Amino acid sequence: MKKILWIASLLLLPMTMNVQAAGGYSIELESAENNIRDQESLKRGAVLFSNYCMACHSLKYMRYNRVARDLGWSDDEVITEMAHGLNTVTENVMTRMNDGVARAVLGSDAPDLSLMARLKGDDYIYTFLRAYHQDEQGKWDNSVLKGTAMPNVLEGIQRHASPDEYAEVARDITNFLAYAGEPSKLERLDLGWKVIAFLLVLLLLLYLLKREYWRDIKH
Amino acid sequence: MSTEDQMSTGVNLTRRKVLTGATGVVGAIGAGFMMVPFIGSWLPSERAKAAGAPVNADISQLQPGQMLTISWRGKPVWVVRRTPEMLKILAENVTELRDPNSEESIQPEYSKNTFRSVNKEFLVVVGICTHLGCAPLYRPAVGSPDMQEGWQGGFFCPCHGSRFDLAGRVAKSVPAPINLEIPPYHFLSNNIVRVGEDPVEGGVA
Amino acid sequence: MSNQTNESSSGKSSLLGWFDERYPVSSTWNKHVGEYYAPKNFNFWYFFGSLALIVLVNQIVTGIWLTMSYQPSNAEAFNSVEYIMRDVEWGWLLRYLHSTGASAFFIVVYLHMMRALLYGSYKKPRELVWVIGMLLFLVLMGEAFMGYLLPWGQMSFWGAQVIISLFGAIPVIGPDLALWIRGDFVISEVTLNRFFALHVIALPLVLVILVFMHLVALHHVGSNNPDGIEIKKLKDNKGIPLDGIRFHPYYSVKDAMGAVFFFILFALVLFYAPEGGGYFIEAPNFEPANPLKTPDHIVPVWYFTPFYAILRAIPDKFLGVVAMGAAVVILFALPWLDRCKVKSIRYRGNSYKVLLTILVISFFVLGFLGTQPSTPLYTKLAQIFTALYFMFFLVLPFTSANEKTKPVPERVT
Repeated sequence: MKKILWIASLLLLPMTMNVQAAGGYSIELESAENNIRDQESLKRGAVLFSNYCMACHSLKYMRYNRVARDLGWSDDEVITEMAHGLNTVTENVMTRMNDGVARAVLGSDAPDLSLMARLKGDDYIYTFLRAYHQDEQGKWDNSVLKGTAMPNVLEGIQRHASPDEYAEVARDITNFLAYAGEPSKLERLDLGWKVIAFLLVLLLLLYLLKREYWRDIKH
Repeated sequence: MSTEDQMSTGVNLTRRKVLTGATGVVGAIGAGFMMVPFIGSWLPSERAKAAGAPVNADISQLQPGQMLTISWRGKPVWVVRRTPEMLKILAENVTELRDPNSEESIQPEYSKNTFRSVNKEFLVVVGICTHLGCAPLYRPAVGSPDMQEGWQGGFFCPCHGSRFDLAGRVAKSVPAPINLEIPPYHFLSNNIVRVGEDPVEGGVA
Repeated sequence: MSNQTNESSSGKSSLLGWFDERYPVSSTWNKHVGEYYAPKNFNFWYFFGSLALIVLVNQIVTGIWLTMSYQPSNAEAFNSVEYIMRDVEWGWLLRYLHSTGASAFFIVVYLHMMRALLYGSYKKPRELVWVIGMLLFLVLMGEAFMGYLLPWGQMSFWGAQVIISLFGAIPVIGPDLALWIRGDFVISEVTLNRFFALHVIALPLVLVILVFMHLVALHHVGSNNPDGIEIKKLKDNKGIPLDGIRFHPYYSVKDAMGAVFFFILFALVLFYAPEGGGYFIEAPNFEPANPLKTPDHIVPVWYFTPFYAILRAIPDKFLGVVAMGAAVVILFALPWLDRCKVKSIRYRGNSYKVLLTILVISFFVLGFLGTQPSTPLYTKLAQIFTALYFMFFLVLPFTSANEKTKPVPERVT
């Protein structure tokens, strides 16, 4: 048994070392400390996403009705909150910008953000949103992704709100994107322990059964 | 004598049977749970459901006697604007129908009437023959030349010859067993009919 | 005897009798399960064979279900995986079962192979069991490699690009061979389609046939055990090995227990860390394949990294490919490289214990190095451990020929 545990821990060891950690960003990423179980934060994040991100970015793998269902909105509410009443709930969350405009204006296409949280991690998004700074000439840059084509969309909040409010805005957007990266994640987390509890019962029974049969075997 | 020497030791057969049974039952329950995702994944996906969401049809341009086809859940749904003459025929000709009162047919409660409609001027019906799923033809005129004698206007299924009147009611002695299906629908306004959704309580019905 | 499985075919219920006259139901069951006598002293290491079989079934079943929603095309492959993850009812679970299963397969198979190294299960008379097993390992690597292209993410694309380019290193025919495998000048939908066909039909079929042969070969010669003793040498007057016990119920129950223990570990990863810390599902694969942009750091999935590290350790392109291939192929020769008569490590000399320890450490270190960006230090380390890896196979024939072994007992312990 000791050997089993030893090997199991050896196998799980590499998983504790996250490969992504070796990503090598120019600054240390801040911890987003977001919580996808916090529905109010997700709702705020969705509205902020609509107001500050959807001008350029899409969430093409998300549908409004899915967002509504998972965030606890009615179908009408999600359209009011996120789409100014302009879309139907079965549509995907697309950008309001026409194709090609971002490339013409900013020099780069704005990526779809459905999977950004899984690609880069929550902390990356949080830090990136807060990493805009202005040099003496008034030119903006981002210390996470230098030379990014993305403007500092949260500039107004960064200037006028309190540091806590500014942090919360970035956290809520991050949280919403973390949710959008894997909308079934809560279902996964909530199902897991039930499956494991069931398997533990089955394991106990099988252990007793095995022990019972193996009484036949003399060593 | 081999290793598994069962005679010499006092084997508790009852305990063995109980444990085997318990493990078998719990294991079978587990196998049952395991089948849920595999069976469940064959249900319509979110995408299919989104594609099957209610659709609006603009009927402002529909002239009396005309038919409009829209797609709902990938199925053809017809909207027919019936003339007073057509309605008169429908009200009178009930003897040749198999299910004139739509007792056995599929329709929302608010369409279970003579004209099988909310507003008798407009028929909203799923354009799939209740026999084997072909699309019937629209032959609104009385005595349409390609129809049999005494044709009073309606739908004719070319696959196996089922006949329906302009309320989607099936004729006697044809293969189709029941009337054409009426989908849930309601009028959003005088010009817009919403197919795939029941009317809201107290709304325009 | 309280068990009914040992009855001869004459006294059976009429239905089973009817079948037995027409199809070898009872005799097959008895030969491979009911009266298959396995040594009574199997330990922890003997779970992994049955576990590999269970994972194979998981991969096949979830794989079939995934193909129901997956679309192998340039435009839709990536989208359809997200469609499975978000829109298909329970799709996320099916996908994670398959992706976690892939890594679990290699964990189980590597441990299964380790068992053979510990107890000499590849030795006479089980050389063919080992060789068929190695073929299984090769096909499994091909299966995993092709499956990894299907999500059509950045790592899928560039991983396949790198591996297929390896074939280009072969002198004379290399470039044409790489072109032929891709069917295009870069990895494209053509490549995706043929990998899909091979991944879902051809290789699984080969895997299943090889698994069948692996078991036939094993049951023909009988199972080895942690003492490395042939239990068939000592039988009672009924011809039953003295140290053998019937597979069913003893090992069927024990393996079922092991399987459920494994399911718990599997569920922990599946539900709480399906990305496996970025090793089971690599983060860059959440970005669709883009032939114009290479990710900063291309890493194969973890189960290939030891061999990938060997490839990178060799400064010459062609020789690197040769070394990587040799690292796998040389395992086929193990039954003949190891000339020691004693099977189990329990009774073998120190030379083997030291060599095996070095091999295992090398494998782990190379596996780690394969996941890291290459730096001069890491390259140097990779070269050292590549040398140590091969040293096992080159030194073994000499040390094993006159190894100082301990006396092997008559009966299993």
